[in-house]
Amino acid sequence: MMFKGEIRKQSPKNLLLLFQILALLLLLAYEQMHADKMIFIMAMGLILIIYLSNYLLIKISSGDNYIFLIVTMLITIGIIVIYRIDEKLGIKQLTWISLGIFLFFLVYFMVKRLKKIDDWLYLYLVLAYLLFIITFAFGDRKFGAINWVSFRGFAFQPGEITKIVLIFLLASYYSNTEKWRHIKYSSYYIMGVVYSFIALLFLQKDLGTALVFYIIFASIQFIYEEDRKLILYNIGLFLGSGVLGYVLFDHVKIRFQAWLNPWIYIERQGYQITQSLFAIAEGGFFGKGLGMGHPDFVPVVYTDFIFSAICEEMGIFTGIGIVMLFMIFVYRGFKIAISQENRFYRILAIGISTLFGIQSFIILGGVLKMIPLTGLTLPFISYGGSSILSSFIALSILQICSEDMTSREDTDE
Amino acid sequence: MYSILALIFKYIFIIVIYLFIFSIIRLIYLDIKSMDAISFEDRAYLKLINRKDSLPFKIDEHYIIDGDIKLGRQNNNDIVIKDQYVSKEHFQIVEDEKEYYLEDLESVNGTYLNGDKLYDIVKLKDGDIIRIGKIEFLFVNRE
Repeated sequence: MMFKGEIRKQSPKNLLLLFQILALLLLLAYEQMHADKMIFIMAMGLILIIYLSNYLLIKISSGDNYIFLIVTMLITIGIIVIYRIDEKLGIKQLTWISLGIFLFFLVYFMVKRLKKIDDWLYLYLVLAYLLFIITFAFGDRKFGAINWVSFRGFAFQPGEITKIVLIFLLASYYSNTEKWRHIKYSSYYIMGVVYSFIALLFLQKDLGTALVFYIIFASIQFIYEEDRKLILYNIGLFLGSGVLGYVLFDHVKIRFQAWLNPWIYIERQGYQITQSLFAIAEGGFFGKGLGMGHPDFVPVVYTDFIFSAICEEMGIFTGIGIVMLFMIFVYRGFKIAISQENRFYRILAIGISTLFGIQSFIILGGVLKMIPLTGLTLPFISYGGSSILSSFIALSILQICSEDMTSREDTDE
Repeated sequence: MYSILALIFKYIFIIVIYLFIFSIIRLIYLDIKSMDAISFEDRAYLKLINRKDSLPFKIDEHYIIDGDIKLGRQNNNDIVIKDQYVSKEHFQIVEDEKEYYLEDLESVNGTYLNGDKLYDIVKLKDGDIIRIGKIEFLFVNRE
């Protein structure tokens, strides 16, 4: 009965802790045959870090205190499933998350101190192109796309960082339109720059990221561009290049056909998506139970297809729960943008909420065969160092955006 | 043995995840519920200083002081705040010839005016900060 009273308090932070402890108990039962103490210490360490971070964040940040909470829930679900699929990857993911939370606080304190970051347009421009050059010069081909750079056995995706740089670039341009007005057609130049990014991503065959770039750009342009006909050009150009891409490039065509009817390509192109659909259907409403399903039937299930593994073992209700968590998260992001007075930070908040919203939409839609499948990670849930780290950087910037900038400037002077 | 546990836990997991989601939605709901804007010109009112979404109970952003008002946890007060640090009848503000006076109603945790604990009836002026527990109000009276 005391237990029930605790739940009724309904503090989300305690519920999260309860969820994590239950997961740990289940792990304890699962590991009985080959007890490895290391993993317990690490898992308990992570639970402690998450609880402390949630507690500390309310103290140090005057901004929103839901976004980090929602993210830690997503991360917990993600790591449980990743550990279940592959124990080694789970331990690696554990270190990535700890590093990510550390980076979150580091970026939070550093970027907050920086002033005039809205003036560094050229720096962002150079940085973005530099990241593309690195990808082309040192990139490896993995799962059909050249977006991995290996450095001494440590692989990362520069594209993950470029997304954030793009948001900074756009925010820096649209928050200082007065300044750029003396250059004629400056909006056309910025559109050209974004399209050059998209073309480069297309050459890397990284279609998912290209789509994310386009939608971030389109939404910020739609809100802030004064030259309204540019938006029409943008949509027209996108449709045109989409059709052109379909005709010219085989890998686009294959994706599209595998989406329309994966069953006739079940041996090859449609294999992944059909296995994913089988897995989701197998799970039913409440899932098979952790460790009772066969998520390993789906190729690379721990990154792009993590959602089907979650649905198989934890049920479609958990799947719906994840979608709801992302929806609340994006809603909070837009609420932050609305209440932010400073234009630069407001655009940043819009950009980052769009990034998370659209990225999760594209990959969830792809996994469920609602839209053509493009390889993207599910933010905060999928396995992957660069994905986790860059998501935490973006989250940290959103956290800064949620604070009142005008009162901060007052206290500085 | 493990398979039975896994079966039970899958239901518990789903329940906890949904409780988590609903607890967040509830807090956000309380946050949005009273976003209605009223004109406060030439009226005295209390303005909440805390971020509203940091308080886990129903509270408004503004309370207009219309005549004498009483604040407390009980439902018969003019301002009802269901916080554990708020007494059943906590304080009252009395109007007398366009002046406003604050009086603590022998509350357990006390009422603080600009950081000092209140023992007497004090005349309120524009910009005073009234604190009870974690909640802080700004008294605004522009004439």
